[in-house]
Amino acid sequence: MKFLISLLLLPLLLNGCSSAKKDKNLAESINLDVEEVKLDNGMTALLVNNPKLPIFSLYFFYKVGGKNEVPGITGASHFLEHMMFKGAKKFGKNTLDFIIEGSGGSTNAYTTNDQTVYYENLPSKELSMILDIEADRMENLSLDPDDFEKERAVVLEERKMRYENSPRGQLYQELMRNFFAGTPYGRSVIGEIPDLKSVTREQMHAYFKKFYAPNNVTLVLVGDIKTSHAKQMIREKFGKIPASPTVAQEHASLKDEAFQVTFKESKVIKKKGESPSPLFMMAYPTYKVGHPKGYALDVLSSILGSGKSSALINEYILVNRPVATSMYAAHQQLEKAGMFFIGGELLRGVKLDEFRQNLQKKLLSYCETEITPRNIQKIKNNYLVDLYGGLDTNAGLAQFLGDRQLLLGDWRHYKKELELYEKVNVDDVKSLCKETFSKPSVFVSVWNQHK
Amino acid sequence: MKYILTALLFVNTAFASDSFLDSVNRMKWNDLDVVWIEDDKFPKFTASLYFQDGALNDSVSGVTQATFDQLTAGTSKETQREISEFFDFYGANLRHSVTHEYSVFTVQALTKDIEPVIGKVCEIFKDAQYPQNELKSHLSRAKSGLKNLVTSHAALADRVYRRVSLEGTAYANPVEGTLKSFDQITPALLKSRLEGLNKTRKVLYLAGPSDVKDIRKVIEKNCHWTNETKVTPQMIQKPATQSTLYLVEVPNANQAQIRIGRYLVADEFKGKYDQFQFMASFLGGGFTSKLVQELRVKRGLTYSAGAYVSMQRDYGRAGVMTFSKNETTAEAISIIRNVFADVSAGRYENKEFVHQKNHQIGGYAFSFEQTNALLGQIMLYDHQNRDLADLVNFPKIIENLSKSELSSATMEVFPWDRQTIVVVGDKSLVKSLSRIRPVRVLNYQDYL
Repeated sequence: MKFLISLLLLPLLLNGCSSAKKDKNLAESINLDVEEVKLDNGMTALLVNNPKLPIFSLYFFYKVGGKNEVPGITGASHFLEHMMFKGAKKFGKNTLDFIIEGSGGSTNAYTTNDQTVYYENLPSKELSMILDIEADRMENLSLDPDDFEKERAVVLEERKMRYENSPRGQLYQELMRNFFAGTPYGRSVIGEIPDLKSVTREQMHAYFKKFYAPNNVTLVLVGDIKTSHAKQMIREKFGKIPASPTVAQEHASLKDEAFQVTFKESKVIKKKGESPSPLFMMAYPTYKVGHPKGYALDVLSSILGSGKSSALINEYILVNRPVATSMYAAHQQLEKAGMFFIGGELLRGVKLDEFRQNLQKKLLSYCETEITPRNIQKIKNNYLVDLYGGLDTNAGLAQFLGDRQLLLGDWRHYKKELELYEKVNVDDVKSLCKETFSKPSVFVSVWNQHK
Repeated sequence: MKYILTALLFVNTAFASDSFLDSVNRMKWNDLDVVWIEDDKFPKFTASLYFQDGALNDSVSGVTQATFDQLTAGTSKETQREISEFFDFYGANLRHSVTHEYSVFTVQALTKDIEPVIGKVCEIFKDAQYPQNELKSHLSRAKSGLKNLVTSHAALADRVYRRVSLEGTAYANPVEGTLKSFDQITPALLKSRLEGLNKTRKVLYLAGPSDVKDIRKVIEKNCHWTNETKVTPQMIQKPATQSTLYLVEVPNANQAQIRIGRYLVADEFKGKYDQFQFMASFLGGGFTSKLVQELRVKRGLTYSAGAYVSMQRDYGRAGVMTFSKNETTAEAISIIRNVFADVSAGRYENKEFVHQKNHQIGGYAFSFEQTNALLGQIMLYDHQNRDLADLVNFPKIIENLSKSELSSATMEVFPWDRQTIVVVGDKSLVKSLSRIRPVRVLNYQDYL
């Protein structure tokens, strides 16, 4: 429970938040009380005891996602995520959901470019049961042929909902396809339709065997647990599962260079869609997750697009003659590469090409006008509020730890992050602002007026 | 150690349901009712101001929503940007929600900033000017958003479903307003609406460490909120038999959104809140619910399906939401009909019934994990005039439910001939949907 006390001290330590004394830095003031377990087969487990309520959250972060797929089996990671709920050797066909929900729990999963994450929220007395289930499906997934075909149809429906019938989904997919063209990040995480229709059970099984192994997963358990007993159970249930002999090699074969964007000049992509108003995203290359420059870029994105007082909102929305109904900026850092993007929905009648040129000029001008000490302090204050919000639940803390362990190799990385955030200053942000917005960009729009 | 001990104490009492009620502190600050839950986990607070007044009192559709939307657009002393800058600097999160029966304005920030933040909230409630330019800009964006609804099939389905299913009642008007009503919204109208809201009955729901109570003096000095106006409930009649299926045509859709349900009048759900919620969860409350099993797991017809019963004080709504590809939309609707019929007739296995009970009772502790969510639940109970003891007794109430109560709840809420069916999809669906009911094709633009 040490971390709770430490977090309570946090607001007193922020610069400029009030007249607070500054006798400790931010990183020193937060100490998460995490027990780390490393099994002989390479599996990592992180445990935090929080006896607040008789419940816990359990997360499994598998290091496999869209970037691990090859043409022909795009969407395999996500399809496999669906199949992981369909049963294994000990807990048979379609029993998993019934066991979890029948205990008062909930479960779900998600797939990204870099990872596939499974999670459960359950009453504390069910810990042994859920660890059994997770061990069973890690080792002995069934991939029942009948379920495989039904789930293929479900995935195709999900794809329609998220992308084919959603202009925003189309926009993001088109941006990734063009921005990361020729790299694994340019492939669709949910999968191309021909691949989803043709992928076989055998291909999926081979993919599963390659990536679903103890040496490719991080378990995070937060809640009302007795850590010594939990550690013992984890060793018993997962310790006997063999490591994958090839997964390390698979990851090593994915060199950072293969993920770097290749365009040398700016690109403008116009895609016809159903949106009566133009939707757009404009992206610039940045740095992969964990890069020291990333933190100043996070601050920059918030200065530009977070909150009603941000630069983009005041330039294009909250004005007498608005040109947009929404504007946002974000810095997306993937394991191997990064992307700074600005997006929004424009009002009908706006001339898209003029808007794009205006936006590009404005972005560079913001490097001089918007990067002020007050704006940087504002973002740091907001970061603190968001941090509290993120750590408010067992699930939030599990997510926080797992992301860092999987993508940065060490959950303790938050210390370094806090240090870096605290050190971000006007010069850093200005310099990165100019560097970023001087690079070539990819501008994608979806609109029913495009041909 | 003070903080941590207090936190644990609260948590233990909150979950030890007998003493949960003691942790809900009810106070009176002059004319203002206040409910405070102590939460020392982090040095932050949530303040939710409940107004017993909502979109039912809109003189022009959407006026209450716009009154809250534009609350920070300017006062006699400060511009929109200055107000936004103030709240953003403190990391204060402002949000609001308007329903037909009530409205809620919520602010969250760090406890150390509570005085300036609440002070500013009081200022804007007292002195919001609704500048013409900002309002014009806001309405222009709101219109654009509505016109673009055609690209959000799920949101469009929800909007048309409300209008069609509640047609003829005071609840049919969309809270957000319409393209036509936006033209009638003026600064004077919004100022008048805010004046009304400031005088209507309200309750302040607070969560945070004990020093959040220090804002009493700020509120009493600056807010000038009174409880002069009482809102008259608007009662409605039970819905009539439905004989039409509504198809809302949208271009180039290869998937159709489906909404099936009806509205409820207060007499139907008073005293049956938990019974109806149990039924909704049994039908469509998780991966193991009947609808998800029948539509997704057994047949692969959809990615998701859900059922709900939402009950306010004087009216409620119940329904099913799902989607399917064009070729199987009619089949999906037939399956939903069969599920209603089977559960109404008790044609389900006892183990499914027991499973749902275990699901709800086992998950009870999660209701207490986030204080903000708990605060929202207490607010809803208060609005419904429900005793908070029901929340404490929830596991017992569920334990005592019988199969016949599940069946009768389904029969009462989901009789097929009273369900409004709305499908948003391609016009080619007319043929297959006509086998279910005569189809009436609607132009989505008439519902914007």
